[in-house]
Amino acid sequence: MTCKNLVTNEQPSTEKRAGGVVYSADPADFAYARVNIPCQEACPAYTDIPAYIRCAYERRYGRSYEINRSVNLFPGVLGRICSRPCESKCRHGERELGDPVGICHIKRAASDFKGPGRIHGETIASSPGKTVCVIGAGPAGLAAAHDLSTIGFDVTVLEAFDEPGGMLRYGIPEFRLPRNVLKQEIDTILRFGVKLRTGIRVGTDVAMEELLFRFDAVLVAAGCYVSRKLDVPGENLPGVSSGLAFVVDANARRAPVIGDDVLVIGAGFSAFDCARSALRLGARNVSLCIRATEEDLRVTEDEIFETKREGITIRSLVVSRRILGNGKVEGVEFLRTGPGDRLPNGRRHITPIEGSEFVIPADSVIVAIGQGAEPIPSPGETDRRGVLTADPGTFRTSVRQLYAAGDFMTGPTTVIESIAAGRRAAEQIARDLTGKRFREWAIRIEEARLTDRERSWDFIPRVEMPAVLPVQDRLHPPDRQVEIGFSDEEAFEEAKRCYLCYLHYEIDIDRCIYCRYCIDVAPRDCIKLVQEVVTDEQGAITGFVETNEWGRVSAVAIDNSRCIRCGACVRVCPMDCISVSKVQKVERLLHPWGDT
Amino acid sequence: MNPEHCVIIGNGPAANEAALTLRGESRDLRITVIGQEPVRHYKAYLLPEYVSGKLAEDDLYVNPPADHRERDIKLRLGQKVETVSFDTREIILDHKEVVRFDSLIVAVGGIPRIPERLQVFSDLFLALKTLADARIWKQKLKDAETILMVGGDLTSLSFTKALLAMGKRVIFMINEDSFWPLRFDDEIRSQVTERLTAKGVEVLNRRTIKGLAGISENEVEIETDAEKLSVNAVGAFFGLVPNVKFLARSGLHIDRGILVDDYLRTRFAGVYAAGDCAQVYHPELRDYWVSIGYKNAWNLGKIAALNLIGGKIRAQAVAQSIFRVGGIAVNTSWWTEF
Repeated sequence: MTCKNLVTNEQPSTEKRAGGVVYSADPADFAYARVNIPCQEACPAYTDIPAYIRCAYERRYGRSYEINRSVNLFPGVLGRICSRPCESKCRHGERELGDPVGICHIKRAASDFKGPGRIHGETIASSPGKTVCVIGAGPAGLAAAHDLSTIGFDVTVLEAFDEPGGMLRYGIPEFRLPRNVLKQEIDTILRFGVKLRTGIRVGTDVAMEELLFRFDAVLVAAGCYVSRKLDVPGENLPGVSSGLAFVVDANARRAPVIGDDVLVIGAGFSAFDCARSALRLGARNVSLCIRATEEDLRVTEDEIFETKREGITIRSLVVSRRILGNGKVEGVEFLRTGPGDRLPNGRRHITPIEGSEFVIPADSVIVAIGQGAEPIPSPGETDRRGVLTADPGTFRTSVRQLYAAGDFMTGPTTVIESIAAGRRAAEQIARDLTGKRFREWAIRIEEARLTDRERSWDFIPRVEMPAVLPVQDRLHPPDRQVEIGFSDEEAFEEAKRCYLCYLHYEIDIDRCIYCRYCIDVAPRDCIKLVQEVVTDEQGAITGFVETNEWGRVSAVAIDNSRCIRCGACVRVCPMDCISVSKVQKVERLLHPWGDT
Repeated sequence: MNPEHCVIIGNGPAANEAALTLRGESRDLRITVIGQEPVRHYKAYLLPEYVSGKLAEDDLYVNPPADHRERDIKLRLGQKVETVSFDTREIILDHKEVVRFDSLIVAVGGIPRIPERLQVFSDLFLALKTLADARIWKQKLKDAETILMVGGDLTSLSFTKALLAMGKRVIFMINEDSFWPLRFDDEIRSQVTERLTAKGVEVLNRRTIKGLAGISENEVEIETDAEKLSVNAVGAFFGLVPNVKFLARSGLHIDRGILVDDYLRTRFAGVYAAGDCAQVYHPELRDYWVSIGYKNAWNLGKIAALNLIGGKIRAQAVAQSIFRVGGIAVNTSWWTEF
């Protein structure tokens, strides 16, 4: 299969392997994967989601975990806290098709059931004799350290906190992410000889210039640890704290003092973590105050539901004007807001409504409206805040051998974005230091057969994540994990729902007799009488010109972007001219010593 | 040239008053009312008396069956709207039919609210919002003797009265969720407790439900922080929330309800929202408000229709008014918190 072949019969650049497997670097095939496997494309790390869900269905949890780990490194962590961009693109969630597959929950099941003795396979390379220092042991830094160590680089990670993990450890509460899961996955990442030095702050304990002298390259992946301020009167009153300081203290078990009536100002995962942590620290009434509406929140619907289930109120369409108090915080004066259009960055423009002032009493206020990177004394160009800047494509700064990646470079993102960025930065550093490429993405194409998926599985309702109930039982002890995780049977049932979009269905036009039985049995408009297949300059299919005039029909074509892989067309075809292949976007280690 | 097609989604008081107002003002307009329930417009506030047998089903209906036809209003009942595309000005029904519109009034009302912490038990709760709910209650009450009421709202009080008239044993559980969205302070709590007790209701104060279990078709066991109860049916009355989930990501501004301006206009030209699903900012309240109650909905439906055909009428919150039901004061004219 290639899309290009369907249209032009040109041969793409491919590499054939034994067993009918083809690795393609054809841009048309990448375009096919981009459109037709939307979950994988939505994942910043390009996790092969259909493949790992299929393994979970086959109860090969270890393999399912490995498929994840090969690109995202933290399946157990991500299975609990990922922002799930894949699920919003899942075809099962399209209108009339139901709800998205619980992709993230299946990932967690793979982690939970893989077995304690699972050995993580990894291809490693001999040392090119280069040293790299990574500043920051958060998801980006650890991901970069991992990739560099597996291709033989001598990697040292410097971490300012006492323990590695960055925001995974100090930003995410234990009730969402148990620390034993985090520790296990960090240990696995560090096992190829990465030297971890904790409690070292660059600029204070060691100078950047010294690091640049001692190492062949330095990567700054120090995250974002400066809280944004509201810039309203009263922000410095006792009882007002930044969300970052609050969660760091809570997660470092330096229990912050919290009042009975708590207002959390902010709308991201951090704000939700603050609100739910405040409840666990003894607050009686907790409200989340957001500028726009619940619909505009970027957290998952599950998160919103669980937060409300714990008794936290979400007050929407409000913006703080000043914090009130005499010697300590006593409340916040807000203005109501009106929603406007969506801004290019995805956020909602809001307009404060003049004359709408009102006060909500509070004895604690937590401001969790975002973070920025902390400037590190360093040579190189900086932004107006003094933070080192880098090229987002190459991660290079203006100083040779000095790189920046992750949230430090971009501002706050998600964990999965940070991991992907760290890995890309590692590849760039390896190339710059050796002149060789070590990893590349390819489209793996393999002949396949119909699976045992049944059409009835499309109607299985989404299996919800079981959680600790009643709610009161969640709060004590405060680190009790709220989401229990799927049972084996629940994971199996949810895995059945996946359409397996990596399967590609194609009609051999030369053998097709245009009986149209396939169109008759198709459950949606996925098989078309086409006059013309529209392609772009790379040969990727971008659309179909359909026709109802028999004389103009040039082909019966399967639109894989509409296909739900039910297989009905294959079963009904009297000419057996519909083939199935498995198309996967995969990452390959090119050669143990790199490829020039 | 085809006449302008105005579609009204909903079949309650706001929707029907909007349709009648539009027809009264314009003979040329093509009007379609799409209702999800398979029955014509009825007075939902009379459902408790229908359940008790005091009223027959025919007593509930507002207009005779032929009324809409005679007014040249197309009534499409039992049809669920799946979503609305405002770019193409199309309504997609759940049987995949596409209905084009030139102008639109969304008046879908509210649906029963169940607090998030109790939603896991939703299957064991009975509501009384629709005629279908009322039919279920009628059937249930043939064998049921003891009814537990949880939550508490205007309907729950009149339904309690109806149940007592039927000779049923009623237990009323009052906790922080009761009479939402009113602030349920100690004064209201003691007032409600006193009145209900005087009527013969067993009141359980300050209970937190820990679990519900269906023991059999006719028995539900409830575990609270204080005791275990066994009843024949559990009625959940936690108020209503705007029924707007189907419009999520449609491009409308949605908070709890559909955000509209004083004239009930949404952000799309020619698209209005009215009744219990519309949310309006009110300068005097310094807050958004969503109306509840039959009269408010009726009034807002009329305003939306008049504005749609060129009027300039502001929808103003009725001054706080108190309804008295069974001696208990309940504010139903507007509510500002959810």
